Amino acid sequence: MLMRRQFVLTLILMPITFGIWYAAGALFSAPAVWLCDALLQAVYPHLIDSVWLQGMKMGALTQFGMLEEEVVAASAAGNQIELDINTRLVSYSIAFYAALLMASNLQNGFYKFCIGLFCLWLVMAFGLASIAAKDLLVMVGAPFLSAPRVPPADLLALTYQFNVLLMPTLAPVCLWVWQLRGSPLWEALASDIRRASAQV
Amino acid sequence: MAKFLLIFCSVLGSLFAIEMLNPVQQAVIQPFTVLLANISTAVIVPFDDTVIAQGRILRDATTGFAVSIEAGCNGVEAAIVLIAGIVAFPASVQHKVIAILAGFVFVQALNIVRIISLFYLGQWNYTVFEWFHLYLWPVLIMLDVLVVFAIYLQWLGKRHPEAQPT
Repeated sequence: MLMRRQFVLTLILMPITFGIWYAAGALFSAPAVWLCDALLQAVYPHLIDSVWLQGMKMGALTQFGMLEEEVVAASAAGNQIELDINTRLVSYSIAFYAALLMASNLQNGFYKFCIGLFCLWLVMAFGLASIAAKDLLVMVGAPFLSAPRVPPADLLALTYQFNVLLMPTLAPVCLWVWQLRGSPLWEALASDIRRASAQV
Repeated sequence: MAKFLLIFCSVLGSLFAIEMLNPVQQAVIQPFTVLLANISTAVIVPFDDTVIAQGRILRDATTGFAVSIEAGCNGVEAAIVLIAGIVAFPASVQHKVIAILAGFVFVQALNIVRIISLFYLGQWNYTVFEWFHLYLWPVLIMLDVLVVFAIYLQWLGKRHPEAQPT
C-alpha cells in the first residue's frame, strides 16, 4: 500500500519538480559544471583548455583546431574546437530525485535532499565529462584517441552509455533507497524483502 | 545488503559491457530494435495505416516524418538494470527466470508506448518531443523498472507467507 502511494505520489509530483528544475535554469547545473571543469583540468589539461557555463549549455574549449579540414593541435591550427553540451541531459536526475524524496515524506527531508544533491552533482560531473569525451571522439577522432591518458574508444562508449543514458535515472533511485532507511516505507519494503529472502 | 550491491553492480557492469560488444550488437541488439519498430508499427497500423517500419525507423508515409530507435531508446538498458536487481536478490532460479521474462515484457510494453508516443509527439511539437524523449520518458521507464521490482518482491513474499517474521 505504501509502495503504491509512493509511486502515485511520485508521478503526481513529477510535473512540479520538473517545472521547478526547468525554471531554475543553470542553478542546478552550475556546481556539476564546476566539478567537471576541475576534473577535466586535473586529468586532461592537454585536451581541454577551459570549461564554462552559458545558460543551460556547458562550453568547453579544446586543445584541438581545424587546419585545411583536418583536426590538428590548436597551437598549429591557430583556432580551437569548441564543444557545446546541454547540461539538462544529466541534470534532470535532480527533478526525478526530488519527486521520489518528496513522495516519501521522510524526516529531515530537506537535509537528505541536500546530501543527495551533492552526490548527484558528482554523478552529473562524470556524465558531462563523458559527453565531452564522446563529442571529442566523434569530432576529433584519432588525434584525441592517441593523446595520453585517453581510454580506448570502446571504453569511452561504455562510459557514455553508463554515465549519460543510465546514471541520471539510476543514481536518484539508489540515493532514494539509501535514504529511505528507518522510514515506514523502508520497514514495509524490508518486510517484503525478509519474507522473499526467507524462502532461499 | 552489501552482497546484493556487489552482485547488482557486477551483473550491471558485465551486461552493459556485453551489450556493447559488436557481435552482440549485430546478432541481438540490432535485430531486437528492428523487432521493436515492427511491433510498434503493428500496434499503430489499425489506427493509422500511413505508418511504415523501415529497419529500426518508423516513418509516416504521408508527411515523411520519421523516428529512429537508437541505443538508449530500445529499453535494453532498463531491462539490464531490472535483470541485475533480480539476479542479485536471493530467490530460486525458477523465480528469477519467471521474473526476468515477465519483467522484460512489462518494460518493453511501456517502451513501445514510449516509441509510439514519441512518434506522434514529434509530428505535433518538436519541443514537447525533446522534453519527453530526453527527460520524462527515461524517468518513467526507470519508475517502471522500480514498480516491476517492487511487485516481484511482493510476489516472492506472498508465495511464502509463513516465513513472515513475528
